[in-house]
Amino acid sequence: MENSTARKHLARLAVPLALMLALAGCVPSDPDTQDTGEANDDGGNQLVVGTTAGVVNFNPLVGNSRTDTWVTNLMYPSMMTLNDEAEKVPSVATEWGYSEDGLTAFVELRDDMEWTDGEPLNAEDVIFTINAIKEEQIGTVAGMLAAYESAEAVSDTRIEFTLSRPDGAFLNSVGFWMPIVPEHVFGEAPSVAEFANDSDWVSAGPFVLTEVEDGQRYVLEATENYPLVESGSANVDEVIFRVFPDVNTEVLALRAGDLDMIGNALPPAVAEDLAGDDSVQLFTVPSLGWAHMQYNMRRAPLDQVEVREALAHAVDYDAIREVVLGGNAISSNSSVLTPVYEQWQDGLDLEEYAYDPEMSRQLLEDAGFADADGDDVYDELSFEMVYDQGDPMVSTWAELVQDQSLDAGINIELVGLDRNTYLARTADRDFDIYAGSWAIIDEPQSNFALLFSPEGFINYAGVDDPEVSELMEEAATALTPEVAQEPLQEIARIVHDQVYDNVMYVETFNFAASSEWSGFVPKPSDLLSIVNAESLANVSKE
Amino acid sequence: MTYNPAPISTGVLLGTDLSQMSPRRKTWRAFVRNPLGLSSLIVLILMVLLALAAPLIVEEPSGFSVAVLEPPSPEHWFGTDHIGQDIFAQIVWGARTSVAVAVGASVLAILLGTVVGVAAAYFPKLNTPLGMLIDVMLSLPILPLMILIAALVGPSISTLVVVIAVFSWPEVARVVRSQALPTVTLTYVNASHVIGASNLWVLTRHILPAVTPVVVVSVVLTASKAVLSEAGLSFLGLGDPNSWSWGTILYNAQRSGVLASAWWTALFPSLAILLFVVAATLCSLAYNDARNPRIRGD
Repeated sequence: MENSTARKHLARLAVPLALMLALAGCVPSDPDTQDTGEANDDGGNQLVVGTTAGVVNFNPLVGNSRTDTWVTNLMYPSMMTLNDEAEKVPSVATEWGYSEDGLTAFVELRDDMEWTDGEPLNAEDVIFTINAIKEEQIGTVAGMLAAYESAEAVSDTRIEFTLSRPDGAFLNSVGFWMPIVPEHVFGEAPSVAEFANDSDWVSAGPFVLTEVEDGQRYVLEATENYPLVESGSANVDEVIFRVFPDVNTEVLALRAGDLDMIGNALPPAVAEDLAGDDSVQLFTVPSLGWAHMQYNMRRAPLDQVEVREALAHAVDYDAIREVVLGGNAISSNSSVLTPVYEQWQDGLDLEEYAYDPEMSRQLLEDAGFADADGDDVYDELSFEMVYDQGDPMVSTWAELVQDQSLDAGINIELVGLDRNTYLARTADRDFDIYAGSWAIIDEPQSNFALLFSPEGFINYAGVDDPEVSELMEEAATALTPEVAQEPLQEIARIVHDQVYDNVMYVETFNFAASSEWSGFVPKPSDLLSIVNAESLANVSKE
Repeated sequence: MTYNPAPISTGVLLGTDLSQMSPRRKTWRAFVRNPLGLSSLIVLILMVLLALAAPLIVEEPSGFSVAVLEPPSPEHWFGTDHIGQDIFAQIVWGARTSVAVAVGASVLAILLGTVVGVAAAYFPKLNTPLGMLIDVMLSLPILPLMILIAALVGPSISTLVVVIAVFSWPEVARVVRSQALPTVTLTYVNASHVIGASNLWVLTRHILPAVTPVVVVSVVLTASKAVLSEAGLSFLGLGDPNSWSWGTILYNAQRSGVLASAWWTALFPSLAILLFVVAATLCSLAYNDARNPRIRGD
């Protein structure tokens, strides 16, 4: 990396100049100006984490933005966490399993967890949480409880769940996704879902919130008891989340030493730039989801598989991964069982849709499409593609998809939308092509039902295939991965051949922290990354 | 004696007899004598030509290349962006959007503003309600409203034009109204009424000509504001994704995180915006000075 000082000077000049001259008034204010005085007061045992959004909801069962999750994960532990291979491993729970008929399940908890107000974290808290979610249908976890009927605390540390039908993903989903909240605090509120939890926090994690400057900084102090790390409590005294306007300012602050780590995943160009900087260490973790395009099969002619195939073969996925993502992505072989989850790969031999515009044209011509007006675009083949304009990756490759599809005679109109409009349009299924990504699809046994069953919550494409539905049923009731593998792989094959979901890549995320710190524990996904509870409890300054 | 003073005939020959020149020519003469005015006009004309001739100058930037984030070089005058597209080409094509939005939004805003302003000044009954409407519109927080509308309707050039025009006309209306108010009470306007001229006739023959100079200034100023607003909205991700714009180039630089490491991705589009806005402002200032008899000193 060439790094002449002149270039750096120019860079420093160009940024403020550009922003000041062109867009005075349009740029969010820089929080730097407000708290430089306090940020560096005893830097010794304080870890400052940069984020680009404030905490919207302090209730861990409701909050769903990344910053919400990062902050609340430090206070409300889950029963399970992930290891490097994206497998569920013990956290608050020590062991778990199903009965032979699959109609009951059990979880054994640690006996040394306690809330910061001295109450023990026990089976009753878990049962309170799961019942509140079920009754009030709170957040995404509610969708994982279809089979759940009731739970009983056999002892302080052992819970037995009664299920209405065998559900092989139940324990893993609830264990990983459900933060445990204290019954003696959340139970006081008339409605758990509406409980704001915005003061007097009680934590069973390594840190507890003590001070909030809304939209600017969130101060968490170490708790005394966190038995999940060897030292019994966090190594740092304080973790501070500071809100920045964007990743550019975060990087500048990291380089200037005002920031110890960046919570957000780095854009590829930034990661490449930081790779040459000795004062910064980089971590790479895989995504647990995927980026994809879905074709709305409720609309003609996208209900024809030939048209979907033509669209799939019109795109150069290698180029997207190499250029747009700077190589920070792997191919998923156009399979919804991505290579990140090794346990499902054995014997799955799917191949990525080859980039072949000629083949696309042939498919379309065989299906009866013609170019009568001679404009090199097949008549009636004009589609609207919606995506979140704020997603830097998707909105960049959307332009490439548009250009390449035109080579195959297909016109794509880009409709990059503000996030809320985009969510509303996709929820209404109001699009021809959808471009986006799933953050985490961790339990195909249950998640596939959301994606591909006719009533699936995120079945954007409108998949309605009896064979897939039957296979999903079979997979869902399988109590071991070995039994679930066959139906899941068959679903992946059908989804691939019918182009129900065009999985383009699995991103690998880059995260940066100052080299002064060591002990980070990277975990897959940008939700956990190096900002997970175990990681922040473990870090210390060298 | 052969000396013949004949000052008048010489003056006529040289075309400098101010008393016999039309006001329009006097304004033009004063305008071209102002180096700032002339050069800014030339810059504006060049920008419009650039926009019109974009397809002849460079190919529309599309696709990708492996020359990612290259600094300016003879091959890529303004460098390349994070997917290897030429920034010079993006700026040339971006000029089309900027000029289109500037022209569209300012024409629309001027039409609305002039109608409202003249109506408020000419019809006494409308003066108070329209004046209030203008004041209310002027006090609205424009940027958040623009963002809201652009976000709800979905980004496209026509949305941008309408949104910007809807929030720009009150300024025009205010200036036009204040210029038209004294004109309405002048003797020749009253005289027209007395000899039975219709309202339409008075408006088109007497009032509109009187406000034309401020409208001309407003056109240029509104155009420059439209370019700024368009860049601002595009920078916030509310631009038309199917066409290039200077704001979009900045937005791409910002969201790809290369703003700090690749200065050329932000500098050149910013300069383009700056150049356009400064030229438009100077041009309108120079015109304003040129048509003012006291300043041009005749």
